[in-house]
Amino acid sequence: MRSVIAVAAVVAVFVSAVPDAVAHHSFAAEYDANKVVKFEGVVTKVEWSNPHARIYVDVTDAGGKVTNWNLELAALSLLVRNGWTRTSVKPGERVKVEGFEGRGTNTYRVNATVVLTPDGRSLFASGGDDRPER
Amino acid sequence: MKSMSHSAMKRLVIALVLAAFAAPLLAQGRGDAQVRPEALGRTVRRPPPPSGPAPRLADGTIDLGGLWLGGGAIGDLEAQGGLKRGDIPVLPWVKEYMAKLDPNMEPSVHCLPMGIPRKWAYPWRMIQEPVPGKGAKRMYMLEEGGIHSYRQIFMDGRKHPAEPEPSWNGHSIAWWEGDTLVIDTVGFNGKVWMDRRGFPQTEKAHTIERYTRVNMGTLEIVVTIDDPDAYLKPFTVKFAAQLSNPQDEIMEFICQENNQVGIAGGYQQPHDFPVVKPPPGAATRP
Repeated sequence: MRSVIAVAAVVAVFVSAVPDAVAHHSFAAEYDANKVVKFEGVVTKVEWSNPHARIYVDVTDAGGKVTNWNLELAALSLLVRNGWTRTSVKPGERVKVEGFEGRGTNTYRVNATVVLTPDGRSLFASGGDDRPER
Repeated sequence: MKSMSHSAMKRLVIALVLAAFAAPLLAQGRGDAQVRPEALGRTVRRPPPPSGPAPRLADGTIDLGGLWLGGGAIGDLEAQGGLKRGDIPVLPWVKEYMAKLDPNMEPSVHCLPMGIPRKWAYPWRMIQEPVPGKGAKRMYMLEEGGIHSYRQIFMDGRKHPAEPEPSWNGHSIAWWEGDTLVIDTVGFNGKVWMDRRGFPQTEKAHTIERYTRVNMGTLEIVVTIDDPDAYLKPFTVKFAAQLSNPQDEIMEFICQENNQVGIAGGYQQPHDFPVVKPPPGAATRP
């Protein structure tokens, strides 16, 4: 039985694990794995750029205050190889975001893990060899 | 897991094996071998690399062409280079130096080069510049990331200069030993972090890289680092690069374009990247 498990593990790794998700910087130096954030907002700007693409999102709290959040995505090369285009998310669209907040105080910056678009597309947003899986 | 019967466990394992095999096949059947459906772009799912014989150039030498993935350390030179924690024989001053390192001083996060042997974390391509009947005169490594740059490697029989100009990638000469390309490099600038842990590379570093294309899809890379100012003795790390899909190409990666590193973390971007040297009076290699 143990050998069967070992074979399964080897096969699973062999067909899937290729280290594409290389981040430009250490996740842990910039973002806090314990500060998980989820919010919904309206895209105000898309920066299709390196070393990271960025999406800016206006989020309105219960009191009506609007804060512009800066979402860090992966490098363009990784996003494009994974199916993104620069129009996958557009200004004016309402998106749901999951990610990790920056270590700094009130930086309003998120290492985005998943971006959910209004039409139901779920976009993987970023990589990082030392980022926790979600 | 304890509550699962032996037969149920066996069925689960068989299902996992079949799923692992079937996933890329199903993906290929949709005409898209790379995208996992539940989250677009979550994983690049690739078929296993081709295993046929390594190709050769007209002069008979191994063709190292193709876009390669992997083959270098990112976060941990020991773990990713086939060593155990603590195997790299640092001098006492290096241990103290690494314990005090600020990860935000890592050059590569500020769009500076990753150096040897780290650069292969991003896709890269080897270009052989042939001379009819004589093999390659020079080789170039084109690197997509870490940083978007190149290395030039001389294969015309020249020696290293007596006083090479210190540089991030050093001065590289190379030759073939059978089907293995051997690259010998000196002349480093003492600024490279060999991984995120910050293993230093001083100006006295000397690296020997051995590239063996063991088959069409796999390139073994063995790197020996000898740096008498930082390590007690030479040490060797091993990596394997995998051939990318034939349709893949190097993409532009201009790191300086919109580098906002440090803002989310609440720290300032440093402007000084010191040359790493043993402090005065530090114990040296016996």
